[in-house]
Amino acid sequence: MKDTLFTILQVAGREIRRMTSRSMYLLVTIIFPVATTLFFWSLMKEGVPNKMPVAVVDLDNTALSARLVRNIDATPLSRVVSHLQSESEAMSELRKGNIYGFVVIPYNLQSDILASRKPVISYYYQNSFLIAGGLMQNDLTYILHTLSAGVSKQKLEAMGQDENKVMASIQPIVLDTHLLFNPFSNYSAYVTTIILPIMLQLFILLMTVYSILIEIKEKTSREWLRLSGKSLPLALAGKLLPYTVIFVVIMMFQNFMLYKMLHIPQHAGFFGLAAVSVLFVLSYQAVGIFCAGLFPMMRHALNLSAFYGILALSLCGFSFPVEYMPAVFQYWAEAFPVRHYMHIFQSQILAGFGIEYSLLSYLFLMLFLFVPFAILFRLKKALILQDSIEKV
Amino acid sequence: MIKSNRQVRFSIGLHQILAAMLQEIRMIGTDAGVLIIILAVPVLYPVLYSFIYYPEVVRNLPVAVVDHSRTAVSREYIRHLDATPEINVTCTTPTMEEAISAFRRREIRGIVSIPESFSSDLALGRQTTISAYADMEFFLYYKALVSGTSFVTIDANKNIQVRNLMDGGLTAEQAEIMAEPLTLSDNAMSNPSGGFASYGIPAALILIIQQTIILAIGIVAGTLREKHPAGILIVHDHRFAETIRQLTGKAAAYFLVYSVLSIYMLKIIPGLFGYSDNLDFYELVVLISPFLLSSIFFGLALSVFFRNRESPMMLYLFTSIPLLFLSGIIWPLSGFSPLWLAVREIFPSSDAMFGYIKMSALAADLTETGREISNLWLKTFICFVLACVLYSGKLIQQKSKLKTGHGIQLQSG
Repeated sequence: MKDTLFTILQVAGREIRRMTSRSMYLLVTIIFPVATTLFFWSLMKEGVPNKMPVAVVDLDNTALSARLVRNIDATPLSRVVSHLQSESEAMSELRKGNIYGFVVIPYNLQSDILASRKPVISYYYQNSFLIAGGLMQNDLTYILHTLSAGVSKQKLEAMGQDENKVMASIQPIVLDTHLLFNPFSNYSAYVTTIILPIMLQLFILLMTVYSILIEIKEKTSREWLRLSGKSLPLALAGKLLPYTVIFVVIMMFQNFMLYKMLHIPQHAGFFGLAAVSVLFVLSYQAVGIFCAGLFPMMRHALNLSAFYGILALSLCGFSFPVEYMPAVFQYWAEAFPVRHYMHIFQSQILAGFGIEYSLLSYLFLMLFLFVPFAILFRLKKALILQDSIEKV
Repeated sequence: MIKSNRQVRFSIGLHQILAAMLQEIRMIGTDAGVLIIILAVPVLYPVLYSFIYYPEVVRNLPVAVVDHSRTAVSREYIRHLDATPEINVTCTTPTMEEAISAFRRREIRGIVSIPESFSSDLALGRQTTISAYADMEFFLYYKALVSGTSFVTIDANKNIQVRNLMDGGLTAEQAEIMAEPLTLSDNAMSNPSGGFASYGIPAALILIIQQTIILAIGIVAGTLREKHPAGILIVHDHRFAETIRQLTGKAAAYFLVYSVLSIYMLKIIPGLFGYSDNLDFYELVVLISPFLLSSIFFGLALSVFFRNRESPMMLYLFTSIPLLFLSGIIWPLSGFSPLWLAVREIFPSSDAMFGYIKMSALAADLTETGREISNLWLKTFICFVLACVLYSGKLIQQKSKLKTGHGIQLQSG
């Protein structure tokens, strides 16, 4: 037992010496992860996009239309940047990308309303962007419905009804929307909490594959195995231990940024978060070992892990819910530790549900730890045959 | 016939460019790692992504309704909710606790709660409140629940109001106009169904082009420097003209490969999967040519710094997802700080994504994408100059290395 521990520490010491010999290690283990954390943190610091540029085409030019324009400008989401003369001019501005949407206020709006002629107000928005398009539509719809309700209200009041009664009669049912277990309607909280682990898994995968296969590429793998008493599990444990420590620290730094700096609520506590982080890092190191063993050639293993890592962005269900994908992708999605991490995050960490609701996800994460055993012999053979594997 | 000096120089130059181009193509063709990146990634990713996002929108979101009212009116509201394409009412529970525990078990994705006084409020002309609890786990779940419930509520409101006004003595037509004095016309320019693939895929395709170009150039350069004992780039002659010819040749090789790939990714794929495709071939060429050139010279300039095969891959994975966010298609540019707006300007993909989306989705013409196209040409020029300077800088380094390290004299020209 003591010998085992000693061997692991010896191999870890060797790895740390290797790590300090090249700037790439520093880049991928520390600088890149910290840089991405700061990037996503600072990019969406506002939480909700605000003051998106819109235009109005005011053909009416009355007190009523002027009030409408002021109302659009006053919402936190949009800012009226230009008053244009025609619909085609506004359309061209939209195509140029200068505005996200525009409202056309027709001729005789005020007089048509007074004469009960039901004038048409048209609004247009750019719907090629997911968030901007959705928010723009909500915002413009809301403002114009408010205007419409305001007109009804005035008319009813003119008919002599009292104010409370008027409100109940123009809007009998009020819809009140809440977010379940997330007091933030903050978009950045939603994006950063998932995108940071997705970025981190890329670095863990890369570093695991690189640190193992560089031994074959530089023909030092036999020496590495000798130092580990010819035991591959010990060799891997010693080699990957320094990375486990670094990546867990990085992940805790990300947690610090999310829960302390961005003030996202969490219910797991320090040790709960640390436990999830350790499991997350270990499961990706296991997948990394698997990639390295499956294709013990640097170029192919790196390509494979890059392909797998990038796909996690789509298949973890963060962008588009997995339940709505074709069946084959629903099974495939289970093969990404980050998907199970996301469940744990949403259920246990963010919503504070009992651990029994995320037990299955923990189980899946632990299952990944056994994946390397499938290729252990193949990897060992490759490490011994170092000379004939990588022929450049 | 005696050729003029200029003609001879021209034909030598052309010959060198062609030779450099063929050499680069040979290097790409014999390296399985690079071949996979250049061929498999651009060919397979678009197809894979299209299948992943094939359903495009969230329909029939499983929702629980907590019906405290249990009257004919509340049941009618639930029926209307269930009839919307977005929402599928999978269970009606008497208490909120039951609905929440179904939510914990992931059986439902949203909860709508109807108050006990619902029908009596409506009968007595009092305002009543319906609460919708949305799952923020996925933006699309939230969007589906909110748009489904608001649609039903607005519709119910209008019907109730019209009925009340008619009870008050107005004609149907008068009541209609009183309830809805304005007609609101909602026009989504591009992507009217709000399909997810149409949001993400065009931008992803542009990004894949730029990233695989940089990656492939970097790996070829990194491999060369790994192989050569002095860790240098292969350039035969150190004159500036020679550097330009070498770079032009290399660029031509990638341009050739990627013009074919671009047509596949940006013309054939949208046609196959029904993404908006409002630009004709000529417009595509005008936009994509400077994009490919600027990406290629960007990659060539960057390749000077790669000392081995692996570093370009690290950079590729580090930058790909942040670049998608930096482009402004996910997070609107109006929310960017000046710093990130400036960083965004560095990469050709930012202009190309906007240009391509504007042309394909909004049918913008060439003058309306003029800003993007001229930016791309400007970036081509800057990256070209940068690549030349960096390459010839390496050359001077290499020359001195060869002189001191290997004692080989270079011919000066």
